Amino acid sequence: MSENTIGKKGLDWVDKRFPVIDLFERHLSKYYSPSNINIWYLFGFLLLIVLVMQILTGLWLMMNYTNTAEGAFSSIEYIMRDVDYGWLIRYMHAGGASAFFALIYLHMFRGMMYGSYQKPRELIWVGGWFVYVLLCAEGFTGYVLPWGQMSFWAAQVIISLVGSIPYFGEDLAIWIRGDYIVSGITLSRLFAFHVVLLPILIIAVVFFHILALHEIGSNNPDGIDVKQHTDQDGVPLDAKPFFPYDISHDFYALGVFLLIFCTVIFFFPEGGGYIIEYVNYEPANPLSTPAHIVPSWYYTPFYAMLRAIDFSLFGITAKFLGFVVMAAGIAIFAALPWLDRSPVKSIKYKGIFSKIFLALFVISFFILAYLGSVPPTETKNLLTKVFTIGYFSYFLLMPIYTRLEKCKPVPDRVGAVI
Amino acid sequence: MECDDFKSNVSDKASLQRGLSTYMNYCYGCHSLKYSRYKRVAEDLSIPLEMYENNLIYDGSKIGELMNISLQKDDAIEWLGAYPPDLTLEARLRRPDWIYTYLRNYYPDSSRPYGVNNRVYQNVNMPHVLEDLQNSLPKAEYDLLIYDLTNFMTYVADPTAEQRKRIGIYVLLFLTIFTAFAYLTYKEFKKDLK
Repeated sequence: MSENTIGKKGLDWVDKRFPVIDLFERHLSKYYSPSNINIWYLFGFLLLIVLVMQILTGLWLMMNYTNTAEGAFSSIEYIMRDVDYGWLIRYMHAGGASAFFALIYLHMFRGMMYGSYQKPRELIWVGGWFVYVLLCAEGFTGYVLPWGQMSFWAAQVIISLVGSIPYFGEDLAIWIRGDYIVSGITLSRLFAFHVVLLPILIIAVVFFHILALHEIGSNNPDGIDVKQHTDQDGVPLDAKPFFPYDISHDFYALGVFLLIFCTVIFFFPEGGGYIIEYVNYEPANPLSTPAHIVPSWYYTPFYAMLRAIDFSLFGITAKFLGFVVMAAGIAIFAALPWLDRSPVKSIKYKGIFSKIFLALFVISFFILAYLGSVPPTETKNLLTKVFTIGYFSYFLLMPIYTRLEKCKPVPDRVGAVI
Repeated sequence: MECDDFKSNVSDKASLQRGLSTYMNYCYGCHSLKYSRYKRVAEDLSIPLEMYENNLIYDGSKIGELMNISLQKDDAIEWLGAYPPDLTLEARLRRPDWIYTYLRNYYPDSSRPYGVNNRVYQNVNMPHVLEDLQNSLPKAEYDLLIYDLTNFMTYVADPTAEQRKRIGIYVLLFLTIFTAFAYLTYKEFKKDLK
């Protein structure tokens, strides 16, 4: 190609003023990822796509949504019926929320499996955990906006948890609601959080998360540091450039993901009541409580933990204690880098205890998710307690079992035989 | 009690038209469809607008308006003890099989104010509006009437369902092609790494 094409000239002009070429190389064409990463490493890219989709569909929903107690419910039906393709935008946004959580759980589990939170990736992990916490808040505030029965009562239950804090809890709950019960005032402030505050924070922390990752680079299923072995130019030997090798894999994954996602939103948009709850087709009514108040599926493990605590202790009410346990269930992920004392990263080379406890964590998570979505019975209450203990023992016993167990030696390089 | 199985068929326009006619004549006096518009229903059910206006709009509303009813809240509470709920979204809220079973399970009960009770919804406030039809029609015909009515309510709760599925097929076709090419691109680049 000639040196003096218009494209080249234009690029030079920009590059002298803003480092486009340098950024492209640093983050894409000369950003190296380990050669042995597998399908568990595709979810980060998919999460980014879903984030963009939620922002765009959210923007279009906002053009027709009314954030008042009188107008919210009918404005959703207006979007579903009178706005051109409003139903599609709304189903994408509601389904997108569920997809977001499904993907982030898989993404987090990958980190737990391969020890991606370990040194030197502690801040990447903590940043990612913070995105998850913000996403929980985003999901909750968004869930209230259609102003159906479940929206109203979920908001009532969750905000009343704050009221269980001793001394100032009740005042704090009133301050958050802006009213004595959940009302139109609560709705419009949750709307402001949902469309302005939380998305800005999410984008900022995601930016931090990716920047921190690109400084250190991806972990891999073997937990090998690929930067230890480089050629004379400093390029890691067991790695490949992100562009085009990973990005082409990511686009293939995107196709598969969209096939599943679009099958759901075009053919099962309510997801059997898991994506859009049937009870939410009745407008919010403060005078009539639904028979079962159930949170969205992605919060049910933590809702089960809340219900597991049905006893008071040392004068602390069961409700506050349950709230603390539930919050701890989410917060404890952030402590993982310091709970894990194993000399190796990946589950492949960790000992038998780590494998047993990780399995216990997964089983507890799924069983709690189920138990949190069904009405409680005496047996189910007992099971909830047992698996809440199972869930926390993965984290709290980690400093002990990771030190006691015997680990396998980690190879020096990808594919090396020991 | 368990609900009877109900398989909706919202592409059966004749059934939807019969259901609409039952709804407008027996239900619409009390139960609005206030999120839906007359014109939308007319168009979706292939009913000429003029015919619709002349026969199925009773209060002089314009055809583009929402399907509100004339019953006043205070009157309803005085006459019936409660304000009958809007039913636009009833089929999504309670599901079609519930409606289908509910409307076929009224039974005589002299202890209730209207002399009827319901097996699905115990001590329901609503009188058995279709009682005369149930008594005069053979069971199969009455069941068909309720089927059509439920089918119409399923349609009106989710009027875009047909369009959604039609577009969905094209979307999936496109995505299959996209994924196939994305896969081939991925394979091609992967060759370099051997």
